[in-house]
Amino acid sequence: MKPTNNSTPKPPGIFSLLKPYSGLVTMLILFALFSNTVTLWLPKIISHGIDDYIHSLFTHTKYDVNSTLVKFTLAVVFIFIFAYLQTIIQTYTSEKVARDLRTRLSDKISRQSSAFIEQVNPSKLLTNLTADVDSIKLFVSQALVSIVSSVFIIVGASVLLLTINWKLGLCIIAIIPIIGGTFFYVLKKVRALFIKSRGVIDWLNKVINESILGSALIRVINSQQLEFDKFLRANSEARDIGLSILRLFSGLIPIITFTANLASLSILALGGHFVINGTMTLGDFAAFNSYLAQLIFPILVIGFMSNIIAQATASFQRINVVLDTTDTSETGETVAQLNGDIELKDISVFYGQKPALKQVSFKVNAGSKIAIIGPTAAGKSQLLYLLTGLIKPTSGDILFDDRGIDTYNSESFHSQVGFVFQDSIIFNMSIRENIAFSDTVTDESLQKAIQTAELDGFIDSLPEKLSTIVSERGSSLSGGQKQRIMLARALAINPKVLLLDDFTARVDNTTEEKILANVQKNYPGLTLISVTQKIASVEQYDQIILLMQGEIIASGKHQELMKSSPEYVQIFNSQQSTSNYELQSK
Amino acid sequence: MNYNLNDLQAKAPKSSTWSSLGKLLQLISHERKNLIMAMIAILVNSTLNLLGPLIIGHTIDQYIFVPHKNYHGVLVNCSILMGMYLVALLSSYLQTILMGGVGQRMLFTLRNAIFNKLQLLPVGFFNQNKAGDLISRINNDTDKLNQFFSQSLMQFIGSIATMLGAGIFLLSINIELGSATLIPAVIILIFTVLTSPWVKRKNARNLKSVGGMSAEIQESLNNFKVIIAFNRRDYFRKRFDEANQQNYDTAIGAGIANNSYVPVFGLFSSMAQLIVLAFGIYLISKGQFAIGLLVSYFSYANQFYNPLRQLAALWTNFQTAMAGWDRISHILTLETDLIKVNDVVADPSASLLEFRNVHFSYDESREILHNINFKLERGKTYALVGPTGGGKTTTASLIARLYDATKGTILLNGKDIRAYEAVDRTKKIGFILQEPFLFTGTVRDNILYGNELYVNYTNEELEKVILEANLGTLLAIFESGLDTKVLSSGDSISLGQKQLIAFMRAVLRNPDLLILDEATANIDTITEKLLSDILNKLPDTTTRVIIAHRLNTIENADEIFFVNSGEVIRAGSFHHAMDMLLQGKRVS
Repeated sequence: MKPTNNSTPKPPGIFSLLKPYSGLVTMLILFALFSNTVTLWLPKIISHGIDDYIHSLFTHTKYDVNSTLVKFTLAVVFIFIFAYLQTIIQTYTSEKVARDLRTRLSDKISRQSSAFIEQVNPSKLLTNLTADVDSIKLFVSQALVSIVSSVFIIVGASVLLLTINWKLGLCIIAIIPIIGGTFFYVLKKVRALFIKSRGVIDWLNKVINESILGSALIRVINSQQLEFDKFLRANSEARDIGLSILRLFSGLIPIITFTANLASLSILALGGHFVINGTMTLGDFAAFNSYLAQLIFPILVIGFMSNIIAQATASFQRINVVLDTTDTSETGETVAQLNGDIELKDISVFYGQKPALKQVSFKVNAGSKIAIIGPTAAGKSQLLYLLTGLIKPTSGDILFDDRGIDTYNSESFHSQVGFVFQDSIIFNMSIRENIAFSDTVTDESLQKAIQTAELDGFIDSLPEKLSTIVSERGSSLSGGQKQRIMLARALAINPKVLLLDDFTARVDNTTEEKILANVQKNYPGLTLISVTQKIASVEQYDQIILLMQGEIIASGKHQELMKSSPEYVQIFNSQQSTSNYELQSK
Repeated sequence: MNYNLNDLQAKAPKSSTWSSLGKLLQLISHERKNLIMAMIAILVNSTLNLLGPLIIGHTIDQYIFVPHKNYHGVLVNCSILMGMYLVALLSSYLQTILMGGVGQRMLFTLRNAIFNKLQLLPVGFFNQNKAGDLISRINNDTDKLNQFFSQSLMQFIGSIATMLGAGIFLLSINIELGSATLIPAVIILIFTVLTSPWVKRKNARNLKSVGGMSAEIQESLNNFKVIIAFNRRDYFRKRFDEANQQNYDTAIGAGIANNSYVPVFGLFSSMAQLIVLAFGIYLISKGQFAIGLLVSYFSYANQFYNPLRQLAALWTNFQTAMAGWDRISHILTLETDLIKVNDVVADPSASLLEFRNVHFSYDESREILHNINFKLERGKTYALVGPTGGGKTTTASLIARLYDATKGTILLNGKDIRAYEAVDRTKKIGFILQEPFLFTGTVRDNILYGNELYVNYTNEELEKVILEANLGTLLAIFESGLDTKVLSSGDSISLGQKQLIAFMRAVLRNPDLLILDEATANIDTITEKLLSDILNKLPDTTTRVIIAHRLNTIENADEIFFVNSGEVIRAGSFHHAMDMLLQGKRVS
């Protein structure tokens, strides 16, 4: 049917996907064969009817038209029932395969690390889950049945042709390789174009996506025309590829029809000769024409379906890449109450050749408050990502209560470490669900978190309170509101360790002070690590770590750093004037 | 204005297939010439296809199935057929390439129209719709149209032409038998017309759940780190499974609806054969019909009903495409609510910007800004301070005309801001948004984004410009300078760095009024000092509006506005503002 390309060591073929559904697939194919066989019988019933009628004319017996009609009606109803059942099973099977494959994929994805998702790119995974699964669905719903029925018909019709007149039969069957060969040749070229067109569609989608996500910026700059030009380039390319594919097909179809026509011409010329010779009956001659018609369509179907199979195979390979990735191994078994002692030993993180963090070591005592400050792109966020296990260090150890972070059961670990991300991440759900993002959150801890984050006033002002749905990119909320919801989300799990990534950036000073005091009061014993820009709010912290270009260049209490670190003093001075004022006004 | 597409769709009156098809055809009205030529090719092709059997039948009757067999005549007819087949080769090629070309170009026009519309709609549209849903609407739904136009359309038209031809032959050979043979076709037609809305509805429902699912995936995958940090992998699975199951349910519905045509069409085509057989024999027995004719009649009935069977499959493609088109055309019918008004010419002596009794609400339920009045003068620096959720960003968005005031007027140079062309307005007003956005590309691409002035500059020339604008130190933060690669999504560069790029982008555009909405919030204070030096060195005429929490960024402001609970109050002094800020109760 389809030339299998053996160039690569064979991954599980696409047919392996069907194994769990073998019952359904068998039924599907059986039903298809039933209705096809009976369909092949229909002309026979009719020709018998005619023959009987002619016979009755010659023999002057009474022709019973009813028996033919009954047979025919029965056959038609039979075909209808099985064809209908077939379409229903077809729908269920293909949708089931698609649904289960999606579930497997999402299950797999859900077990991966965040770095993995970032690396393979969410939009590629989106394609895996949608377009790739769809092309496999198409394979199940159309290709499978069509190919089986087509092969059945081709073989059946060929056998019949050969039994009628093997010379003419061979002559006609010769068109199968001609048509098939042309088809495969053209489709091979088309396939290359299909791959190209997929690339262009990705390009189109990228332009569309960026123009949607960056819509505000585009309107501020008035660069709509620019975006349109970008789109136009991609779209023109898509059109040109579409037209190239079209040119190939518009050559292909006439050639196939022409070949088939030549075959019917040879039936007329050659068969006519045989009939005139008396070596062939007129009935057989007529049968040849009708079987020729039945032969061509399945050849075309196989050609088209081989394309669907090729696409589905490619999709399945892409999906398999995801399915074959190893799960982030759940190595840790320790389920322990965290105390909050944290230690980093010689941590380095490399992205390619480029170090993001170099030989970072420090210790945090349980219940203490640590600040990390440093310039833009110093590696501060990376440090927090390490502490939540979102990324793994290239070398070095991270210890919580003297045990490696990997030895902890991730579920137990994450339920004790709260993380407030720098960028606002709000899900398109109710505020309640956004805050109580973990299922361990009780109403009590939810209330405590809301109060601590100073959100109660805001939530009370909403008509639907906690049930208010906030939008995807949180555009109905102000920057500070989003930030505080994210804080409440982290606090709602009653963490032992709280990591703040530039939390103060979008929250005003008064609120910030209140919130930090609330945290102090409501979550005693919490270990706090805060990445921040503002020295004033962390002067009293137990330790301040100054990070620059991935290295710790100074650490200690505020007073010590003021004496020992010129860089720290520089940062301090840059904030001086207003900090003074803030202190006065307290 | 309500831009929520799912909402609008629910409310919209149901449009018929034909009216939406009509709208679609308007897009190719300029293709008339190609369409006519394609039609001619299709006609020639179908006629030749139908004449073939007739000549073969004629050959049999005249030269083969007669006492005086005439092989020469057979060969003559064979060469006639050969000629016909050669013409058919050409006409079938023309039919495909012309019709397919129209389809491809139509798709091209359609995509352009949607994208163009997308660019014309205001920010409110994007905030009211989920990005994932919009993307699915544009990618998936146009793809449904794509599939129809690039694969099914030619078959569709070819089938209809063959059917029509065969129908004419059927009727002209014997009107009675012909009419009887066509009765099942009429039933099929009625069946199709009656069920089409149902099929389309099922497909529309399915497309909607596909949109919902991809929105779900988009949201979860883009925020995967939160899911991991909060240990909610199970939650991701649960939410996805729900969307997946819902998609499964609607897909089954759509699949069963779509697939029911094929067996039903098959059933009725067989009925037609039954009619030919029964009625034909009856007519023959009455002496009104010949047995030879009956045989060729079967082949014409097949020629009529076989394409009809194909049409059944194509019809569902067509319905799916139309459901997709419906969803798309909802976008196309939307109009921006930011309408241009006529107003007097600008008054150079007026304030640069003025808010006059401005009220604003995103939706009718809650007013965000109440009766705002203030003026911004040229060359001064203004600060907007106030608690979060007070309305600062909203005020700034009104200045940049991302939204229009619900009531009241905003004047730019004494002229209604709504009276400016977008080009002129955006040249005057620069706005660094709270959430920086980057396009995939290089730092250079992003800094020069939408900036026509420097597009053709070489990197060296551009670096000179950047140095002159005092931006050199900022550029140095990027390891490969202008050629540093950036991705639109993901954490390839830090938020602070994104803010730096957004800052450079805005400054290089040299606007009259520059708004910074917490634009430096994630930048360290030393770099921030650099930024404020850069701001101070902007031309004397540049007005700056700074929204910030960090006080050092606003202490140099000439005037401070305190924004809270939807009101903008002018603070007498920095200290006055501070007091309000420190004491101000947050009422959101």
